[in-house]
Amino acid sequence: MVPPDERSRALVSVLGTAETKVTFEDPRSIPEMVLAVVEAALEDAALGWHDIDAVVTASVDLFDGLTASSIAVTEVVGAVMKPETRIAADGLAAAVHAVHQIMAGAYRRILVVAHGKASMAPYWDLTAWAMDPIFLQPLGVNFLTFAGLQAAMLARHDPHAVSRWATTAALRRSAATGGIAGPISVDRVMASPVVASPLRAGMCAPVGDGACAVILGDPNIGDRNLGEEDVRIAGIGHDVGPHHLMIGELTDWAGLRRASQRAYTLAGVTKPTFAIVEPSCLFPHEEELFVEAVGIGTTAPHSPGGGLFAGTAPVISGLSRLLRVVRALKGRTGERGLAHGTWGPAGQGQVVVVAETP
Amino acid sequence: MILESTIRLPFSYAAGTVGSRFLIALREDQKILGARCTSCSTVTAPPRPFCSSCSRTVTELVEVGPDGTLEAWTNQPGNGVFGLILLDGADTPIVHRILGTINPGTVNAEAINMTPGARVTAMFAKDRTGRITDIEGFIVEQDDP
Ligand SMILES: [Zn+2]
Repeated sequence: MVPPDERSRALVSVLGTAETKVTFEDPRSIPEMVLAVVEAALEDAALGWHDIDAVVTASVDLFDGLTASSIAVTEVVGAVMKPETRIAADGLAAAVHAVHQIMAGAYRRILVVAHGKASMAPYWDLTAWAMDPIFLQPLGVNFLTFAGLQAAMLARHDPHAVSRWATTAALRRSAATGGIAGPISVDRVMASPVVASPLRAGMCAPVGDGACAVILGDPNIGDRNLGEEDVRIAGIGHDVGPHHLMIGELTDWAGLRRASQRAYTLAGVTKPTFAIVEPSCLFPHEEELFVEAVGIGTTAPHSPGGGLFAGTAPVISGLSRLLRVVRALKGRTGERGLAHGTWGPAGQGQVVVVAETP
Repeated sequence: MILESTIRLPFSYAAGTVGSRFLIALREDQKILGARCTSCSTVTAPPRPFCSSCSRTVTELVEVGPDGTLEAWTNQPGNGVFGLILLDGADTPIVHRILGTINPGTVNAEAINMTPGARVTAMFAKDRTGRITDIEGFIVEQDDP
């Protein structure tokens, strides 16, 4: 329960949420996937197209080659003749941008959409083109290389790290529901092929296709769609670290620590305890960095549905974590949850949202 | 229906003033340069035109390496072995290929002693073109030949 003296002024209300089932290859086109979640989110919010003032979409052109010139989604998010902002980062960063726009008084209700289709190209190979073109690209490194180097740094003085990570991956996969990855034993994780030592295939969250939509609204306009029961966003925080690997940044998600402190300050959180925590971790070593950075302690429960280890898609991860938090908090009184998103190599970009119920 | 396609497009990147000096030093002198901040003394290698610690403009380049310490390495089957190397005289690490020891280019990650803290040294390519790959990779120095 949130202590009464910590109850904060809500920044925005969450009016509706929807996501596709994540699959390895969704046969639908991106506009079809996006339209499906937009219609479902509007229905969830009991709102129509005309109720939406503005749209913020998240997509990375490198991953889909389609959104750069508004080919793919502008029509299906209803953004034609409306203000659309596009964020090239994790979907939760798009939600944070929408919060800024509502707090500034620019718009009353904003549709936030994220989509990603890893089936379009070999995902990790594609991330090689998001690396520095002078010093890194010619070497052939990609985001998975950096994850391997990060894990190797963490395992340097920790002989139990790898078996602990295998246990974490198996634990998350055993809780996975409705995703693309089912249960796996620790032994099978340890026997799975090395993908970037010490990381093995069974330790990595599978990346497929998905789309997610969240509708945010000004909590102070008092219309029928902004009821007392809505989950509110009470804190937001955002931080971007250096692209080039730094020894310290590899073993400590300092950017996430800064982002979460910003969110806690806004939300009035003095002691970070949450009814639900949803990290965006693709690898088990990232969970350990996450727990340390947000200060929740190693025993705090998180990822009740297996987190990203159940399966995720590029760009949607953080926004879909917010959706999980909102759905878990709905109908409860005085509870608080934390959603996390990250993008770039080795956790370069970090974003945190604190949600709560009145 | 899924349509197959391939994107192939020539691309030009400006290496910038500092990046160009770094690449030219690799090509002409087989030397690795870092950028030394005159404000906080941090040496960023490979160099960038700003300090990686305090973000001020940096123009002073100093020689670092070619020896260094292997901080961490990862074996990516099918792609190679990559290391995070702190070059002697540098404060920030460089990412590069690890070539192994006895037969450079045929890395056997398990066979060589690549414990963190191992000493490594840069191996320069014979034909250099002014690219980061003018350093072919790093050789792990071993006590036991
Ligand atoms: Zn400096």
